[in-house]
Amino acid sequence: MKILVCVKQVYDSPETLVFDESAGKVTFGPHTIFRMNHYDEYALEEALRIRERLGDAVVDALSVGPPRVGKTIRRALELGADQGIHVQTCDETCLSAFERAHFIAAASRGRGYDLVLAGVMAEDDMESQVGPLLAAVLGYGCATGVIFEELSADGREIAVEREVEGGSRECLSLALPCVLTIQSGINTPRYPALSHVLRTRSAELECIEASSLAVPPPTQSLVRILPPAQGRQGEIIEGTAAEKADKLIHILREHSLLPR
Amino acid sequence: MSGRFFIIALHEGGRFREETWELVSFARRCGAADPVMMVLSDEGAIEQLADDLAHRTGLDVVGLAGSHLREYSAEAYIRTLVPFFRDAPGEIRIAAAHTSRGIDFAPQLSAGIDACCITAVEDAGEGTFIRSLHHGRFRAEVRADRAKVVVTVLPGAFAPDDIAPGNPGKVRIVPAGDVTLSTRSRGTSAPVHANMGLTRAEVIVSAGRGLGSGENIRLVTMLSSLFPKSALGATRAVCDQGWLDYSHQIGSTGNTVSPRLYLACGISGAVQHLAGMKNSGMIVAVNTDPDAAIFRVAHYGIVEDLTTFIPLLVDRCLKRE
Repeated sequence: MKILVCVKQVYDSPETLVFDESAGKVTFGPHTIFRMNHYDEYALEEALRIRERLGDAVVDALSVGPPRVGKTIRRALELGADQGIHVQTCDETCLSAFERAHFIAAASRGRGYDLVLAGVMAEDDMESQVGPLLAAVLGYGCATGVIFEELSADGREIAVEREVEGGSRECLSLALPCVLTIQSGINTPRYPALSHVLRTRSAELECIEASSLAVPPPTQSLVRILPPAQGRQGEIIEGTAAEKADKLIHILREHSLLPR
Repeated sequence: MSGRFFIIALHEGGRFREETWELVSFARRCGAADPVMMVLSDEGAIEQLADDLAHRTGLDVVGLAGSHLREYSAEAYIRTLVPFFRDAPGEIRIAAAHTSRGIDFAPQLSAGIDACCITAVEDAGEGTFIRSLHHGRFRAEVRADRAKVVVTVLPGAFAPDDIAPGNPGKVRIVPAGDVTLSTRSRGTSAPVHANMGLTRAEVIVSAGRGLGSGENIRLVTMLSSLFPKSALGATRAVCDQGWLDYSHQIGSTGNTVSPRLYLACGISGAVQHLAGMKNSGMIVAVNTDPDAAIFRVAHYGIVEDLTTFIPLLVDRCLKRE
């Protein structure tokens, strides 16, 4: 069985983003730290567990992005992926889910993946689109928000449970090949084993220039980045820490929310 | 952007999801006064559902019927909707709610009809759509570069449309043909982690990733002990970390709560979490990050480090008694 895991590199904290309101743009500040999207960590872990259960599966990790993304693919190798594939873009231009899905499809076509796993969403854009779009482009079935999976004994079908509103679960079975987007909490991601860390030092990533892949023109354009909508005009309680505590206690008692 | 506007009404157990009425408001915000309502189901249920929609909204309804639509699956929806829209001429906008089902089928639908797909939309501009990104710190204004566009609209972003009890709209039932699915639906299981304690609590003290470590859960426990009829809540991230079990999770895939007081500790305010608590009577947020999105839904905000502030708050509260 061949399994592909799509991993995205995201910034660690949104506090390092720099917003240029007049230009309507957001850029990464100089202190930005990048890491693997948390949801993709669960997808990778699930792939590794399937490999351990089957014994003879191969897990590839793929990411699309500029050279810095190579570090996240190496992280996937350290965690236990067999092979890393980097679809390399030349700059920091923000890609839409549509473009990412087509790059991944173009790079993975003909490699015979039986199962493609990705996180349910990326923490930065929260679009939840790459997995299902990829499935549509490849002509695979797809289930999103997967919180449980079990391969059939003959390996031709996979039973999954999708997490839906209020914590209920939709149960369904899909024919392979298919794409699953993995919900966090399906497993507990492991830490890298030292042997894998050492092996990764000398591992070569397969690098594919994004510009060499034929993909359709984007379906959307970003007009601009805006500040957040003006929300509730709540009160920020000011003062020293002790004053803030006293003011809050006073407010809660006024509203009979805290016993006097 | 003009052209036709369709709303896909999601339903379960013979009832429409509440977001359906919010989508009518969204359509009007986009300049479509009379969107067409769409509902998909099997032959036995379609007429009742379509009539219900036509009466509730006063809008015209298209009901797509097929035995493969008895239970929801993304494949069943896509294989019904793609043939319906694929060859339709002109500009078409299709809206569904940004729920677990909406985001399950919308991207694949868009791929099948050469449409643009924009998810978690919360507002519309001049021919553009607006969505949050980067943990709600910014919004992106996006323009579709295809004649067709599929959008999923964030629950709660629009008020439900005032349903005018006027003349019901026209109903058209369209047979969707025989479709053999490769997906087999096996039903829906009950919530795994429903927590009656949470839904009954008058005060919920809730923990986010900003607490920093599982050890600091004792701080929110200590804080909640100040309040009678209180319970502990958590974001998904906190449950994923194993700091609290999933029965405490509040948000779109967890519990939905509306206590008299919601005390958000170290919670950034991602839309999935807000979906589960934004109707709370009073929201108080404590976070070190003054730009956290939670402060835009909070009635009172405090910018402080929880590890020092909670002990101080508890201490001063007990001293005054």
